[in-house]
Amino acid sequence: MTTITVYDPPMCCSTGVCGADVDQQLITFAADLDWLKSQGVTVRRINLSQEPTEFAANPEVNALMQASGGDDLPAVLVNDKLVSRAKYPSREELANWSRVVVKHHETAPQLDTCCTYDTNSNCG
Amino acid sequence: MFTNLPKFVFFTGKGGVGKTSLACATSVNLADAGKRVLLVSTDPASNVGQVFDTKIGNHITSIANVPSLEALEIDPEAAAEEYRERIIGPIRNTLPEKALASIQEQLSGACTTEIAAFDEFTALLTDQALIERYDHIIFDTAPTGHTIRLLKLPGAWSGFLETGGDASCLGPLAGLEKQRERYAAAVESLSNADLTRLILVTRPRTSSLSEAARTHRELADIGIQNQHLAINGVMPEDALGDPLANSMIGREGDAINGISTALASLPQTRFYLRPENLVGLDALRRMNQPVDAMHPEATHNAITHLPTLSHLVDAIEADGKGLVMTMGKGGVGKTTIAAAVAVELAARGHDVLLTTTDPAAHLTETLAGDIDNLEVSRIDPAVETQVYRDHIMATRGASLDAQGRKMLEEDLRSPCTEEIAVFQAFSRVIRAAGRKFVVMDTAPTGHTLLLLDATGSYHRDILRHASETSARMVTPMMRLQDPSQTKVLIVTLPETTPVLEAARLQDDLKRAEITPYAWVVNASLAATETTHPLLVARAATEAPEIKRVQEKLSLRYAVVPMLAEDPVGACRLRALVAG
Repeated sequence: MTTITVYDPPMCCSTGVCGADVDQQLITFAADLDWLKSQGVTVRRINLSQEPTEFAANPEVNALMQASGGDDLPAVLVNDKLVSRAKYPSREELANWSRVVVKHHETAPQLDTCCTYDTNSNCG
Repeated sequence: MFTNLPKFVFFTGKGGVGKTSLACATSVNLADAGKRVLLVSTDPASNVGQVFDTKIGNHITSIANVPSLEALEIDPEAAAEEYRERIIGPIRNTLPEKALASIQEQLSGACTTEIAAFDEFTALLTDQALIERYDHIIFDTAPTGHTIRLLKLPGAWSGFLETGGDASCLGPLAGLEKQRERYAAAVESLSNADLTRLILVTRPRTSSLSEAARTHRELADIGIQNQHLAINGVMPEDALGDPLANSMIGREGDAINGISTALASLPQTRFYLRPENLVGLDALRRMNQPVDAMHPEATHNAITHLPTLSHLVDAIEADGKGLVMTMGKGGVGKTTIAAAVAVELAARGHDVLLTTTDPAAHLTETLAGDIDNLEVSRIDPAVETQVYRDHIMATRGASLDAQGRKMLEEDLRSPCTEEIAVFQAFSRVIRAAGRKFVVMDTAPTGHTLLLLDATGSYHRDILRHASETSARMVTPMMRLQDPSQTKVLIVTLPETTPVLEAARLQDDLKRAEITPYAWVVNASLAATETTHPLLVARAATEAPEIKRVQEKLSLRYAVVPMLAEDPVGACRLRALVAG
């Protein structure tokens, strides 16, 4: 059974009302995680401004925090192994790590986000 | 005073309307009548201790000379600080400084303080021992509609946080789910008319009365029906031939006659303007009596040589261009001061853009054709906020279920939303300040700036790449931090609470490394020629406040007189500058 843990940058509002712009990337990612759950994968998201102890407790994430001070969030761990940082991975990547098959019509609509997103545009 | 008061009484209203004074006077009145009373202040700027000349603080304290009165001061800022410490304390020595700073900023918004304050309210509202010990528990503040609505949403407590994966305005409550029943009981008590009365405190001014009407509607909508209107500081109807007193009486009468039917239908009590600040038991007990300072021997103003706005304009003018922002709580006259500065600069021959959020717009509408070089634009906060909300509901909201959407809608009613929507509109205007003067009647808080600046990382990135790209690259934040490009004028009134609130705004800006250029003390009676004995007495109470601004709070300051007539038109605005 795969467990995916996402360590998010600090966010104060669910809406991103405190961000300069709302990040479509986050919506898509939330939908992708929902889909992953429906495929039987265990998913957990942890926010730096709510559960910072979790960031310190995990050796890989802690090392990342020490190195970048949080600039490299979000970090994604698959079964406690760091697989991605400083970006929200795509549904395909999530599926690969979890050994789940993506049917083409299930792919969430991807906006033009490959190069433009900024982890900090949602509050932090 | 007020009659048939139930167990819980809440006073609510904007800073400076007199909530604390009325709460103190009501408590003394009840205690003098033999009732056992607990007076609770959750105002971060509480001066209940000063009013009773007793050190109170965070535990129940007896008040000397009022046998059955006890008081308690709760500081929601301290409660919020405790909450932040609960989160940050355990990792202070493990995570790097930069990560700690960004967490700290996320938890420094208005929401955290609001929820922390509510947490304190509920502890008192649900404490059976306290409820039995006192006949009345009087609060000098009340929870906001936003907080109560959030707590009533089932979604606030259940799966949304997990499935959405994000925090919300209820972030500070995460992990406190076990308190859910206590919160529900507290909200229940607030809505029970036999148990709770809400007293809306207002000044006899249009802006203050509309604010009371808005709060009334909002709280009535969520079931708080037992409401009462208290109009505080009404000018007694005897002008004694003083033109300023005469026009104040007229203006106040118009404002009170113009209130909405909903507000007019509430039980109402009026309190007259007192010659003294309501400090000390004698003054509080006089609250009920007629004003007795109407015919003292003519005293004259003790304060003289107050600096006028024109001195500030001289200095601002020297740079030839730049951004000027007036900042302060609602009702202190930000728009008037911004308009006066803009008109004066334009009259001296500079190109000026005045941008205002003034909802009435009557002040600025008349200016457009009045003066050469002056361009006036307007940002409607309601429109900007709606556009912003719609945008977010259509984007982020689209993928949420019904419960998630409700939660998102409520989050979008948070106090941050309007500020951010308006700031986005403003940042479009700011760029013009490189060429001419741009004067604005609002400014973002330090908290908003820090968040909007992408917590500094955008800023840092730009600095890092400055050599590779353009060395002249400027972020809005950098522009606001640079005193040669931006001058923030803090506007306040010469009264205790408004000055304290303005000082807090200044501290908040300091976190964003912005130092206000000057303070403007508006609507000063000390700066007028009034001979009305009551107003002369009030003018004397301004002295310590003006002194505090001059000596402790500002680099430079100006005092603007209380006006007999609204400063409509360029001519009257320029008269304001000259003082």
